[in-house]
Amino acid sequence: MSQETKVELVAKTVPVRVDLRSLTRVGAKPSLIDYLISLWNYRHFMVYDARARVQSGNKRDRLGSAWLLLDPLLNGLGYFLIFGLLLGASRGIENFIGYLIIGVFLFQMSSRAIVSGARVIPTNRNVIQAFNFPRATLAVAVNIREFLANIPVIIMMLLMILVIAPAEEITWRWLLLVPAVALQLVFNLGAGLLLAPLVAKVNDVVHVISFAMRFWMFASCVMFSIDRYNSVPAIKAIVEANPLYLVLDIVRSSVLYSQTPGWQSWAGLAAWALGAVVIGMLVFWKGEESYGRDD
Amino acid sequence: MAETTDLFLPRTPAVVIDRASMTYTVSSDEKRASRGNVLGRALRKIAGRESTVHIDALKELSLVAYHGEAIGVIGLNGSGKSTLMKLICGKIQPTGGAVYASSTPIMLGVSAALVPDLSGAHNVILGCLAMGLTRAQIADRHEAIMELAGLGSSINLPMRSYSSGMSSRLRFAIAAAIDPEILIIDEALNTGDDEFRGRTKQRMDQLREQAGCVFLVSHSMKTIQDLCTRVIWIDKGDLLFDGDTETALGWYRKYTKELAGGDRFAAAKIRRRMQNTLETVSVEPLQPGRRKSVGA
Repeated sequence: MSQETKVELVAKTVPVRVDLRSLTRVGAKPSLIDYLISLWNYRHFMVYDARARVQSGNKRDRLGSAWLLLDPLLNGLGYFLIFGLLLGASRGIENFIGYLIIGVFLFQMSSRAIVSGARVIPTNRNVIQAFNFPRATLAVAVNIREFLANIPVIIMMLLMILVIAPAEEITWRWLLLVPAVALQLVFNLGAGLLLAPLVAKVNDVVHVISFAMRFWMFASCVMFSIDRYNSVPAIKAIVEANPLYLVLDIVRSSVLYSQTPGWQSWAGLAAWALGAVVIGMLVFWKGEESYGRDD
Repeated sequence: MAETTDLFLPRTPAVVIDRASMTYTVSSDEKRASRGNVLGRALRKIAGRESTVHIDALKELSLVAYHGEAIGVIGLNGSGKSTLMKLICGKIQPTGGAVYASSTPIMLGVSAALVPDLSGAHNVILGCLAMGLTRAQIADRHEAIMELAGLGSSINLPMRSYSSGMSSRLRFAIAAAIDPEILIIDEALNTGDDEFRGRTKQRMDQLREQAGCVFLVSHSMKTIQDLCTRVIWIDKGDLLFDGDTETALGWYRKYTKELAGGDRFAAAKIRRRMQNTLETVSVEPLQPGRRKSVGA
């Protein structure tokens, strides 16, 4: 074929004019307001996802959902043996067992929620790649799931306090548990949203988070009194500003010691919770387009 | 300028690909032992990254697909067909350029597991909710989805116990639950037995007729010939042809014949010819006050 050599070597370019206004970029993130509205529109998805996963969460274990209770129970027992009996951390703490139970159970709630919230992108890669939906729904669903899974845990915690470590009396202050835990859940969501984009980008962060959680536990006075930090005022100030310490402190004083927590504690906790969820949502929304890619 | 645009008004664009390209960065086992000193090599080994390779899965490509078109996508294995489809439906974001669409394109025949620990039935509802259906809509379509999936009582088992054929049936049934305006069918990924294929064909035809714009990836020249009004031919990430079905299939057959016969030179010649005669499209956002110059 001789005409082939005559074919011009420069490819022709045909301009096509398109009205792009009727089109949207595929996979583009919506504005923040639209994003929040679409989150609300996907509420059934979040609730369904959370409920289905609570039921199947521990299916691979022989004891199934019993691990939700056994986990903090065994942890508490371990800490009781080491800190309560061996190291004598119970000194100066009234009703140490109650103190420890609240510390371990509530801290575990947050640490589970934050760690699984942070890992939400890698664990849901399949769903993300299969469907287009606002990704923050997954983080919210994780926290709804943790909340549902933790209702029996909280009831168990209260029962244990009643049976093993009786408080002086049950007052109306027990009801303060509800707003305290609600604020804790909001904070968990915020922390998860904040960390998830980081983990999505650099998976190694997961290791750092579980390590940091251990430190956070010591900084939240889960198994010893805050008086231990008396010698170092700087650390004590940090611990007192720590949102999880605030949660534990509020719950302990209202459930165990029949004291109404001061407004400073509430204000501090509320600021942490709202701040975390607002900043977390912003950060998560910024990275919306980048999630679920195979790199 | 108004009279010239009026002529083309019925042809509204469904998908516009504006100079989109895709480069994957992957780590390779290829040894590069000679590079760097001992320390550098040790560090790379610890980090688990011996070397990274950039793969140009898709070179810069522009394309305008209109409503009412059924576009066949052909090319050899590894030519970038699936990458292009993933770009269109937003599964991956292009490393350069952008893809626009008039509504969210839906891909059928996706091979991604959903939530392995949940039962098939739970996955159906979850998938439908994720596609934005309401509970009432799901209740309406539930029967149809179950019937299409045809998994019987296995629908109550967790998805991780499914064979790959079973889970791809389920995924197809979920994805086919909505009537998308822009539909992408990747036959190259479809793995069903004959019984299932027969059943899905009906639904696929139904969806295709309803959809405003269809992309069909297939290795079956007959399917393309029967269904498509336009064909894109992609080879090694390059767009080789974009136009009418007969011409495309004619050249493509010639090309694959030369390759199968081992005549790489002749094949390369065809490829060059296609590349040279290709009329590259450049997308220009519509602005008033300029002459419209549409070739096609």
